[in-house]
Amino acid sequence: MMLQMQDLAVPILVVGAVAAVVRAGRAEAAKSSRGRLRELAWPGALLLLAVFVLSTVYDRGGNDVLDWWQLLIPLAAAVIIAARPGWVRRIVPWGLVGYGLAGFVVLGNYAVGDNGTTYGLYTTGDWHAEEELILLLAYLFLLLGLWLLWRAARLAEDSQPEQRRRLLGRLTELQPRAQLAALLLLPLVIAIAAFLAPAIRWKAGSLVIALSLGGAIAAVRRRPELAAKVAAVGIVGFGVLGLALVAGANPGGFDYARIGQVAVGNLYGPVLLVNDKAKALAAVESLGLLAVGGWLVPQLFPQVRRLLGMAPESELLSRVRQLTESRADAVDTASADLRRLERDLHDGAQARLVALGMSLRAAERLIPTSPEAAIALVAEARETSARALIELRELVRGVLPPVLADRGLADAVRALALDSPLTVETDIDLPGRVPAPVETACYFAVAELLTNAAKHSGSRDARIVMSHASGELRIEVTDFGLGGADPSAGSGLTGVERRLATFDGILVVSSPIGGPTIVVMEVPCALSLPKTSSC
Amino acid sequence: MRAVVAEDLFLLRDGLVRLLGAHDFTIAAAVGDAPALLRALVDERPDVAIVDVRLPPTFTDDGLRASLEARRTVPGLPVLVLSQYVEQLYARELLADRAGGVGYLLKDRVFNDDQFVDAIRTVAGGGTVMDSEVVTKLLGRRAREAPLARLSAREREVLGLMAEGRSNSAIAQRLFVTEKAVSKHSTSIFTKLDLAPSDDDNRRVLAVLAFLNG
Repeated sequence: MMLQMQDLAVPILVVGAVAAVVRAGRAEAAKSSRGRLRELAWPGALLLLAVFVLSTVYDRGGNDVLDWWQLLIPLAAAVIIAARPGWVRRIVPWGLVGYGLAGFVVLGNYAVGDNGTTYGLYTTGDWHAEEELILLLAYLFLLLGLWLLWRAARLAEDSQPEQRRRLLGRLTELQPRAQLAALLLLPLVIAIAAFLAPAIRWKAGSLVIALSLGGAIAAVRRRPELAAKVAAVGIVGFGVLGLALVAGANPGGFDYARIGQVAVGNLYGPVLLVNDKAKALAAVESLGLLAVGGWLVPQLFPQVRRLLGMAPESELLSRVRQLTESRADAVDTASADLRRLERDLHDGAQARLVALGMSLRAAERLIPTSPEAAIALVAEARETSARALIELRELVRGVLPPVLADRGLADAVRALALDSPLTVETDIDLPGRVPAPVETACYFAVAELLTNAAKHSGSRDARIVMSHASGELRIEVTDFGLGGADPSAGSGLTGVERRLATFDGILVVSSPIGGPTIVVMEVPCALSLPKTSSC
Repeated sequence: MRAVVAEDLFLLRDGLVRLLGAHDFTIAAAVGDAPALLRALVDERPDVAIVDVRLPPTFTDDGLRASLEARRTVPGLPVLVLSQYVEQLYARELLADRAGGVGYLLKDRVFNDDQFVDAIRTVAGGGTVMDSEVVTKLLGRRAREAPLARLSAREREVLGLMAEGRSNSAIAQRLFVTEKAVSKHSTSIFTKLDLAPSDDDNRRVLAVLAFLNG
């Protein structure tokens, strides 16, 4: 048995591929080599499809002569690729689905076994193995087409959300892997229906297949979770059934031999017509199905996940997204802080030191000739150095307040309370130190909140409650002012929230009109034992 | 007058020693870390100690903590703490034992050596010297709170200068009033803060404390 590419199809394929390369070379989007490869994959898939279609309609009954019109198939494909590459994306998935479904029809209607080509295969009369291969190809095309359609619909998310919802229904609400699982219900239903159809009778069987396919599509759109679960279990079931059949068992007591002989696209029919090649194929198929099922089941059944000790993928995904965001924020904040620091140093202390040097140099020159002027300049230099010190002090306070470095968060927050223009009551229970980065973030968060309260709340009093329990630092800042603080309006609270997010911390604001405004921050972190004093 | 100097940066320590030497202080010890400071304070019992807040070994507030510990062993041991920053929290800790003889100044204040030496002498004499930055912050915020609310604006001003460690004559000079007027104000302050008549220095310390604690 061999795959026979039609003689004329090969040059056409080459022409098409060259055209595609030219198109791809021009394509703006495909800058990287990987992108170019992806561009090439589409016309390649279309041409391959065209060749398979050609081989199906060609040469029924051992006749080697092509009708002229049959050449139009690959030719049309090549023309479409070269002229309208955009169409390729739209045509290929539907073409694959159609050709996949055609495979089941071929299996049902054509008497294979002639020395001819069917469904892209050149038969050798070894028809059981060929049938199995047709089946594999049919599923392959169907799945590939479905997957491409699903992917295209997913990509339409941003541009046409309406169309996407119409196409996929509630399916879009699922995680990607669950979506894929739900889609697999369609071929699964075909397989089951095809398994049962011959037992009923072929004509009625077609109706059964059509009806169950319609039902499956409705299920995928409306109850995608259920569809995904059924599909995953069904896939595992088929894998197990296949292995059982290969091993010679007869589960369920079906007359597999009869079903197999009718051979309307059921998965394991040929297995029973004892044939080593078909048996090997069926074993590979079954193992493949088990692998796919094993990949899907843990995703869809939390119970299984727990049993296996796996973290749920959805949580991992959202965690990754969250970490990506907070990391970007942290990097942005850090670089903005550095730039501010550089600017402040440059415009402040550095400039003052230059002025200082100049004053001193001028004084040096003046000492012999007019000592009074020199003395005045030296006094000015001293003033300048005092101002430089004040600026540096403010700067350092903004970077890392010394009291925080000295004493940790508890005393630093007490110091903040003392420095605030409000009367701040503190209730702090923090018998140890939290990690330095958390300390800094929380310190500046409290500072920001107190500043807000002093500026906007109209309150004269505030309260800070801080404690650490069950692996979480909790800080509550309350003012008894006007309330009505909107966390989304001011950038201050948003900034605090983002800084805390770096540590998986959260910030919750309750600020009804009329007050009080309560801001609660929670940051998961360890509490280290207090350092023992060295003196 | 015998002084102990604790400062880990050699340049600054040397500068302080020279400055003190020029103003007729005897240097009993000049040390560079907290354990040495504690030993020097307890063994030498100087008339005054000038201490940098940040000292080895941990480079946090070791100087402050060593001073407080020394004052627990030797009550009232006069200590002037110097720092690049002033924190009300530290000021309160220094004043907490109500024994007086404490000072807390920014390092910048060394630039004005006359005032700085005056401050050292005030501390050595059992007085209290708070940096004007601490005092300014407090005046800004405590004014409307009891018991300071009872004071007039002028009295608060006098109390602030008192907290900075200025003598009555210095306050009089600063406010362009007579010394008599200042002592009248301070008597009124003591009365309004319910400080029983005792020796003037102690009342000044307590007034400053009341001021700091709001």
